[in-house]
Amino acid sequence: MPASPAETLDRNRELTDLLHACAQGRQTAFQALYRQVSPQLFAVLVRILKRRDLAEDALQDALLSVWRNAGSYSADKGAPMTWLVSICRYRALDMLRREKREVSLDTEREDLDEDGQQPTDGQVVTDAVNVSKAEERKLDECMGKLNHGQQQSIRLAYVEGCTHEEIASRVGSPVGTVKSWVRRGLESLKRCLEAA
Amino acid sequence: MNYSDPRLQNLLAGEYVLGTLRGAARRRCERLMMESEGLASEVGTWEGRFAAWALRLKPVDPPAYLEWRLMGQVRKESQFRGERLRNTFWRTWAVAATVVLAVVIVTQKITPTAEPKAAEFALMSDATGKPLWLISVHPEANRVDMKVVTPNPVPEGKSYELWMIPDGGKPVPLGLMNETGVASETVPPELLARLAGAKALAISLEPRGGSPTGQPTGPVLWVAPLVTS
Repeated sequence: MPASPAETLDRNRELTDLLHACAQGRQTAFQALYRQVSPQLFAVLVRILKRRDLAEDALQDALLSVWRNAGSYSADKGAPMTWLVSICRYRALDMLRREKREVSLDTEREDLDEDGQQPTDGQVVTDAVNVSKAEERKLDECMGKLNHGQQQSIRLAYVEGCTHEEIASRVGSPVGTVKSWVRRGLESLKRCLEAA
Repeated sequence: MNYSDPRLQNLLAGEYVLGTLRGAARRRCERLMMESEGLASEVGTWEGRFAAWALRLKPVDPPAYLEWRLMGQVRKESQFRGERLRNTFWRTWAVAATVVLAVVIVTQKITPTAEPKAAEFALMSDATGKPLWLISVHPEANRVDMKVVTPNPVPEGKSYELWMIPDGGKPVPLGLMNETGVASETVPPELLARLAGAKALAISLEPRGGSPTGQPTGPVLWVAPLVTS
């Protein structure tokens, strides 16, 4: 059951209110924000970091920085949820650079749906959707126009936090090929998304 | 590389958001974003486009103790802002109190008693280190003791409620906090068994008489780790 545009707007407004209250130092607002957004953000972090303990640290660090910097949020940073997801992802990517990644990547996989697709029990998620349905459909449509290698590379990079090298070893192609898939893929994607 | 070239800027922004841009190149891009509005807005655009994938992942509940840990930190930071001046005094106090706690623990440990199970302690302090309660768990006596160290008046119409934070799972209520002296709560053995695996105790602000829902409803005021003797 996808969120209607009106629901998405309400949700964005609610999260913006909470961020605004956080900026004024209201701890109860932060707790409410945490309860609303942490399961989705935690899913993103577990997926990239592959280890729950690291994902917990990343979530704590990221949300503490949200608490400290809530006042710096503004509409030009995107929807509130987009902003929060970005803070978490970048925190996770920073951690990956420091932590040597475990080779066994699949310990947590059983909790997760395959390939970032709509979860089968699709409830809570739809609440969190902040990208309008039309834009989302457009992204799927434009992704569909890329070749398989480009699609896979871009997805693995964004959802799993893979480097060029990690993508190359997962799909069994040379690193140079993966690099050009990512570049060409991004260029085609932009062209397609910006076409009317 | 000429970063004002829109094509390059778009690629740089896209790879920054994907995360395939790493190391020094990533840092350089962050630096460039500070001065190039164009690049910063390209990054924002890519973030918005891909966010749909992040939001399609099936949510995963983080463990309950994460909320407590985080709220404890937030509270600490807020208090530090206001109470930096009194800090040094209470820091010294806290060190002394910790030493006393350690001595208590060691003494209990080396004194041979008939009690087979170890006691556990938690020292609840405010953000400045001022100790408020010393809480001890006595499994052999099915009892939790709460000793007031520094009296801390409860706001009108409210109660402080004590919770145990199991390692994973929801907080479990242990009783209301006393305002003076020492109070004891009797705790059923099966709860005490769970307490053995608990990592921390926490106190929240609740309506007078305690949380009506069985879960914390007000802000978490203090969190302290459980130390085994």
